[in-house]
Amino acid sequence: MFKKLIEESTGKSPWLFHINAGSCNGCDIELVSVLTPRYDAERLGFKLAGSPRHADIVVVTGPITAQSLPRVLRSIEQVPEPRCIVTMGSCPQSGNVFRGSYSICGPLSKYVHVDVDVAGCTPKPEAVIDGLALATKILQEKRRAMK
Amino acid sequence: MDFPFVKEAISQLFSKPSCAMYPAVESIAAPRYRGRIAFDPTKCINCGMCERVCCGGAITHTVEKTEEGDKITRSFDLGCCTFCAHCMDFCSTKAIQLTQDYHMIATKEEDLIVSGTFIKKPPVKKAVPPKPAAPAAAAAAPVGAAGPGGPQAEAPAPAAAPKPREDGKPVQDPNKCVYCTICAKKCPAGALTVDRAAKTWTLDEDACVACGTCAGVCPKKAIIM
Repeated sequence: MFKKLIEESTGKSPWLFHINAGSCNGCDIELVSVLTPRYDAERLGFKLAGSPRHADIVVVTGPITAQSLPRVLRSIEQVPEPRCIVTMGSCPQSGNVFRGSYSICGPLSKYVHVDVDVAGCTPKPEAVIDGLALATKILQEKRRAMK
Repeated sequence: MDFPFVKEAISQLFSKPSCAMYPAVESIAAPRYRGRIAFDPTKCINCGMCERVCCGGAITHTVEKTEEGDKITRSFDLGCCTFCAHCMDFCSTKAIQLTQDYHMIATKEEDLIVSGTFIKKPPVKKAVPPKPAAPAAAAAAPVGAAGPGGPQAEAPAPAAAPKPREDGKPVQDPNKCVYCTICAKKCPAGALTVDRAAKTWTLDEDACVACGTCAGVCPKKAIIM
């Protein structure tokens, strides 16, 4: 009975960890606006975690600069399985306007499996909520598959 | 004792939350919000201006030769787009529109690509005399004598302004043209060659896509479409 309760409640409160991989700060501000009272994703159970070890969903913003790449990969490795990686904005998906620069190592999908892409530059907070909802579903499927 | 905030606190307990109740209540983006790209391949004339102005390099096209003509597929990668709307602003036929749709969530990269296919027929060759008199005369005149000799040589040949062509391609009016080369610089297909010294204006008929950019930018309105 407790196992079932735990399974249901973990699906209802996925914790986020936000990695800024050289973002212009636009997507970071939008992610904060999702979590603060205007859109208040915390009423849906999303909570920003301070450490990658507490997180279920990793939100990556920015075009993965050469300086940030080893730190991004190390932080993602510390997130316990099952985890879900969400890219926010165009930058981690392709590099966007920074593509081809000597200091850009993106896209993120070259290094880790990306589960959800939220496109936009920057995405609207509503789109971010949609993306996180999809990530939660994928997370639940992964959790069931691990059992 | 006095509790001045009790009334306020109790009324807040029964009031609605002030946040946007997004998943329950659908939210519509602002009227000129720049979201998902909608591409109308029937309007596109393949001038290539959108690809030139795209700062993220999100727009690509492939050409496939078929019997009917060139089969052109133009695709927009929303995962690489900055949604600056330059492509929409520069599109001379309004084939590209940025819609209010902001739901751009994908689990695969292919889901974020908007594309359209159309067939571009090869240009019909017509025996239209493409204004040979004036530029040839001007080119034949020696450069040193272009000042006084030019207007005299040009004046008799193009007495009237040229008529617009049937296939929609541009025609130059030698009476008005000052050979400033703006049309050649702005031509997205690179079909125009203007030589300022020799006072020639030549059109590459195969490259021209009849987009009308040259006529729009001409400061002297010397290009007739």
